[in-house]
Amino acid sequence: MSSIIIETSGLTRNYGDICALKPLDLVVPEGEWLTVMGHSGSGKSTFMNLVGGLDRPSAGSLRVGGKDLLAFTEDGLARFRREFVGIIFQQHHLVPYLTAVENVMLAQYFHSVPDEAEARSALERVGLGHRLKNRPGELSGGEQQRVCIARAIINSPKLLLGDEPTGNLDHKSTVMVMELLKELRAEEKFTVIMVTHNQEVAGWGDRTIYLDDGMLVREERKVEA
Amino acid sequence: MAMALKLIPHLIAWFGIVLIMLRGFSGRRSAVLLAGIFGFVIGVAGTLILYRSYPGSITFGVVKSTLGISFILLWGSSVFAIYRSTGRGKDTLRGERLISASSTACAVSCLASIVAGAVCACKLSSFATGGAIATVSLLLMLVSCCALAYAALAFEKRLPEPFRVSPAGMLAIVTALLLFSASSILRLDLFSPLSMKVMKGVHDFVHQFMESVLFPDHLFVRSYIWKSIGLLFSKEVGFWGGLIIWFTPAVLIVTAIAIQRLPSVAHIRQGAERRLQSAAAIRERRHRLVIPVLSVVFFAAAAYQSSFPSVEYWDPKPLPVTANQAGEIIIPKKGDIDLEDGKLHKYLFKQGEREARFFVLLSPTGELTVDLDACAICKPDGYGQAEGSVICYYCKTLIPLETVGKPGGCNPVPIAFSVKSESVVIDGTTLINSWGATVQATTRVKEGGK
Repeated sequence: MSSIIIETSGLTRNYGDICALKPLDLVVPEGEWLTVMGHSGSGKSTFMNLVGGLDRPSAGSLRVGGKDLLAFTEDGLARFRREFVGIIFQQHHLVPYLTAVENVMLAQYFHSVPDEAEARSALERVGLGHRLKNRPGELSGGEQQRVCIARAIINSPKLLLGDEPTGNLDHKSTVMVMELLKELRAEEKFTVIMVTHNQEVAGWGDRTIYLDDGMLVREERKVEA
Repeated sequence: MAMALKLIPHLIAWFGIVLIMLRGFSGRRSAVLLAGIFGFVIGVAGTLILYRSYPGSITFGVVKSTLGISFILLWGSSVFAIYRSTGRGKDTLRGERLISASSTACAVSCLASIVAGAVCACKLSSFATGGAIATVSLLLMLVSCCALAYAALAFEKRLPEPFRVSPAGMLAIVTALLLFSASSILRLDLFSPLSMKVMKGVHDFVHQFMESVLFPDHLFVRSYIWKSIGLLFSKEVGFWGGLIIWFTPAVLIVTAIAIQRLPSVAHIRQGAERRLQSAAAIRERRHRLVIPVLSVVFFAAAAYQSSFPSVEYWDPKPLPVTANQAGEIIIPKKGDIDLEDGKLHKYLFKQGEREARFFVLLSPTGELTVDLDACAICKPDGYGQAEGSVICYYCKTLIPLETVGKPGGCNPVPIAFSVKSESVVIDGTTLINSWGATVQATTRVKEGGK
C-alpha cells in the first residue's frame, strides 16, 4: 500500500441545482479495500461513478492511477474504463441471451479480443466451471453475481468498483461473494471501492467512509484483531 | 486554360503519390519532398526534350515501357509478399529496415516522380503542341507540382497516426496512381493492350494446342465446334483475362497482409495484457490494409478509363462514292473535303450487292494513303482517329499515324491508288475484292475474327 491510486481534491458533482457530491478530499492508497456507506441519496453512487470514469465532476480535481480524469477526452475516458476499471453492479446487468462464458467474453471483446479459454478459466476461478454454458436466467442470484465478478476481473483492472454487489443476495451468498472478492484481491492486488448499505459487508473492507447529503461525515479504519 | 484543366487528374494522382510516400517514409519527409519535386521536374523536362527530338511515338513508347516495368515489379513484389506472409514477422522487419533508409526514400520518391512527371508531360504534349499554350500549361503544371507537394506535406501531418503504409502497399498504390494517370492518355494506356495480349495468347494457345495434337484447326473442324471454340477468342475473354492480370497484384498484397501472422504474444503472462497486444497487432494490420485496398480502387478506375475512354474520336460518317464507267473511284483532293487536312475521311463504295468501306488519310510524313476501314485480323468494326493515332474499334489497338498505309498486324489494309490531276483514283473492283477477302477471312471463324 505504498502509492496512491485515487486522489480527489474539492471533488464536486452538481445535477442542476442539486449538489449530489459536495467538495470531497480523499486519498486512497493502492490495494486498499474502501467501503463507502451512507443513506440513499447520500452521494455514494455519484462518487463511484466519478471514480470509475462513468461521469465527470462539476468541480475539483480527480486523479486515478496517476491520471487526471478531467483531462481525458470521451475516447480516453472509455479506454480508461476498459483497461483500468472493473465494475460489479447490484442488478448484475448480464446479457440474458448469452451464456455465462459469452458474457465474460463480451467484456474481453470490448477490451481487446475475446479469448474463450481465458474466460472459462476466470469462471472456474469463481467456482462456476460447471455453469459455463448456462444463461443468466438459469443461474441463482449468487451465481449471477459471481459471473459479474469474473466479468469484472477478466481484464485485470487496477480498480474494482462494487455498487451494492450483495444487495440482492441472501446471507450465505453474500459471504460467499465477499470471500471470493477477498481471495481475488489477494491474488490480483487490485484496489476495491465498495458501495453498500450493509454494515456486515462494510466489515470486509480496510476502511469505511460515511457520506451524508453528499458530504464526507465520518471515516473508520478497520482495526486488525 | 480550359485545356490545361485536363492536367488536373494527373496532378491529383501526383498529390496522392507524394502523400503516400511521405507517410511511407515518415522519418524522411524533407528528402521525399525534395526528391519528389526534383524527379517530377526531371520527368517533365526529359519527356519534353525526347518528344521534341523524336516527335513520333518513341517518347510514348518509353514512358509506356516504364509503366509496364512498374507493373511487372508490382507483380513480383506481390508474389514475394504472399511468399513471405507466412514467415512470422520477417517480412515486416526487412520492409521496415528498407523503408527507413534515407537513400531508399530518395530513390523511390525520385523514380516515382520521374514517371509521374513524364505522364503529365505526355498529356501536355498530346494537346499543346507548341507556342503559348504549351508554355503556359507547362509553367502552370510545374507550379502546381510544387504547391501540391507542399499541400501533401501539410495534409500528411493531419492523417491519423495509426494510418501506416507497408512497402508492398506503397508500391501498389503508387503504381495504381501512375496507371490511373496514364490510362486517360491513349498511347500510354496499358489495360487495353493487356486485354489484347490475353485474347491473342488464348488464341495462339488453342491454335498451337490443336497443331501439336496434329489436329489442323482450320480445315476439318465443323462450324458448330468453331462456334464454341470461337467464344475463347472473343473480346470478353481478353477483357476478363486482362482484369484478372490487372487486379491480381493488388489482391495478392491485400491477401498477404490479411494472412500475415501476428507477432507472438504467448510470452505475456497476464491475459488482459496479452489480449491488448493481440488487439493492437490486429488493428495495426487493418490499418496497413487500407492502402492496398485503395489501390484496388485506383486499378479499377484505370481499367474503367481504359475501357470507356473520355477521348473523343474523329469518326466521320462514311460518304457514299461511286465509280465511273472505267470502274474508277475518283475523289478530289480539294473538294468539299480537304483530303490533306490530316484527318481521316471515310467513304462507302457499293457495287451491286457488294460494298466496301475505306478511308483516305494524309500521314504525318506528307503522303496520302488509302486503306480499308478494316484490318486482316479483327472483326471489321472500323477505325477512329485520336491523339496522333488511329484506333481499331474492335480491339482498341492504337496504330500511330506514321505507320498507317503499311500492311500487317492490326494496321488498316492498304489499297493501291494513284493521284491524277489533283484527285485520288482507286480501282473499284480491286477495292471490293480486297474488302471481300479481308472481311471473309476475319469473319469466317465466328462472328468476329480475332
